[in-house]
Amino acid sequence: MSSEPVLSLRDVRKSFGSVSALASVSIDAFPGEVHAVVGDNGAGKSTTVKIITGLHAPDGGSIELLGEPLSHRRSTAGLHEHGISVVYQDLALVECLDIATNLTVGRLPRRFGFLLDRKAMRRDAQAVLDDLNVRVKDVSTPVGLLSGGQRQIIAIARAVRLDQPLLLLDEPTAALGVQETAHVGEIIDRLKEQGKTIVCISHDLDFVFRHADRVTVLRLGRSVGTRLTRETTRAEVVGLITGALSRDLDGAA
Amino acid sequence: MEKRSLVQILISRQELSLVLVVIAITAAASVKAPAFMTQSNLLQILEGSVFYFVIACGSALLVVGGGLDFSVGATFTLGGLLSSQLMSEGLAWPVACLLGLLASIVVGVVNHSVITYWHVPPIIATLGVFYVLLGVTTLITGGLDVVPLPDEFQALAQGRILGIPNTILIAGLVGVVTWFVLEQTPFGVNIRALGGNRQAALANGLPTKRLDLTLYAAAAATAGAAGILYASRVGSGQVNAGGSSMTLSVITAVLIGGVSLLGGLGTIQGVVVGSILLSLIDNALVLTEVPPTLNTIIVGSILVGAVALDHLRRDHLYRKR
Repeated sequence: MSSEPVLSLRDVRKSFGSVSALASVSIDAFPGEVHAVVGDNGAGKSTTVKIITGLHAPDGGSIELLGEPLSHRRSTAGLHEHGISVVYQDLALVECLDIATNLTVGRLPRRFGFLLDRKAMRRDAQAVLDDLNVRVKDVSTPVGLLSGGQRQIIAIARAVRLDQPLLLLDEPTAALGVQETAHVGEIIDRLKEQGKTIVCISHDLDFVFRHADRVTVLRLGRSVGTRLTRETTRAEVVGLITGALSRDLDGAA
Repeated sequence: MEKRSLVQILISRQELSLVLVVIAITAAASVKAPAFMTQSNLLQILEGSVFYFVIACGSALLVVGGGLDFSVGATFTLGGLLSSQLMSEGLAWPVACLLGLLASIVVGVVNHSVITYWHVPPIIATLGVFYVLLGVTTLITGGLDVVPLPDEFQALAQGRILGIPNTILIAGLVGVVTWFVLEQTPFGVNIRALGGNRQAALANGLPTKRLDLTLYAAAAATAGAAGILYASRVGSGQVNAGGSSMTLSVITAVLIGGVSLLGGLGTIQGVVVGSILLSLIDNALVLTEVPPTLNTIIVGSILVGAVALDHLRRDHLYRKR
């Protein structure tokens, strides 16, 4: 990969009181790649996500998006203005609203400035779903009626709609069945074809090896190594996760 | 979606099952009391629902948005009493009404501040404000009602257009505007999102605090406006116009009408039927000479039934993940 990273975390540190959550995390996600971040429970995956999304401010280190430092004091709400769209682990969908509304809420199309444009809402939503090759019977189905996998896909579709240079997926397959996981994988592949940069937090190594280009392993709050998935093995990644293999020297990757 | 049975439709559209209840009560009452089915009595039922309904419009928006306001009964008193007092001190009645309405909106802002910045749960915060307001309204007039009020002001609610009482027309207007806001504007969708899943609303970049503020202000505004309308209707500013029974009736009308306490779900059509039902039960019980104690027993049972139905509805509508 030649170009500058889209997202670059350098030696990011974070403690909560006396507990060190992140000791030193560095991640570089390059344009057009699917970059997986893996690690055991407590390795610092969630904290890393929360620092990228701005929910927590890091104690030290730097975060750059497209070469620009991300300010630490920013609201989660305004995140997409900074070039990141996020799919949260808890999905952040509104059950009682339909698919079209969930896909457009926050950026609802209007007529005359104050009227809700439902037609445009349905059209926009359908276009996003078509673009991802997702088939939905009716975009006016309440999200509460959908299965976990369908919800995950709607959540991803919403993030895609924001059309940001970086898509951050937090455990996109955590609660999904085999078939649903495969569907999410297809969508990720498709987004990659479209040139999107995707950072995907996951502990599903099968999924990671099938869909990611590069994988960064976190262990006990440190990034202990980054590998191209085609040049590494599951055994090596598992070794890094468990600590059976020692971590890379700083700077080596 | 697959075809749905009649029972399923009734569960998912609470106002429909409510209409059945209304029809049943109407049928029973008209058999037992011939005076029930007269035009003047039906108008009277509608007029009796007007004050519940106007307050309930703002409260319904608030509950859909995930909030709750127990202070509306006292805000209702404040709006009417303060406006009346200002009129009796010589202020032009439109100005007095405007100030009464403004004072009500201030109550909404206070509710919102206590909830948002002091982190007091909505039930407690607004209950506290309710008690404070009861005292404040008593202080305004020293515990006395305000009479007389200007004729022009009284004509506002006591007049009729084409034989229909103005109060009903005004309530209809408030209802249409509220329906429009909830169903046809981005704001309406945003408050459903807010009430349906606050975290999601936040993650989607909705201005949650500003939405909350608007909703608490709206709930207080409709309560104050209804209080002013009531003062105009009865021709006096009354210290005991509202109070706890008004708060409870309004919340009952909102919940019976199918607005979910958990937020997100609910329609103004439902609130219309809920408000009318309350007034209908009052009226029918009096005309059929049923002892008034039964009133609260019936209302309480319907309330519990309606909320249980809401739970059933969610179970029915949403899959578990």
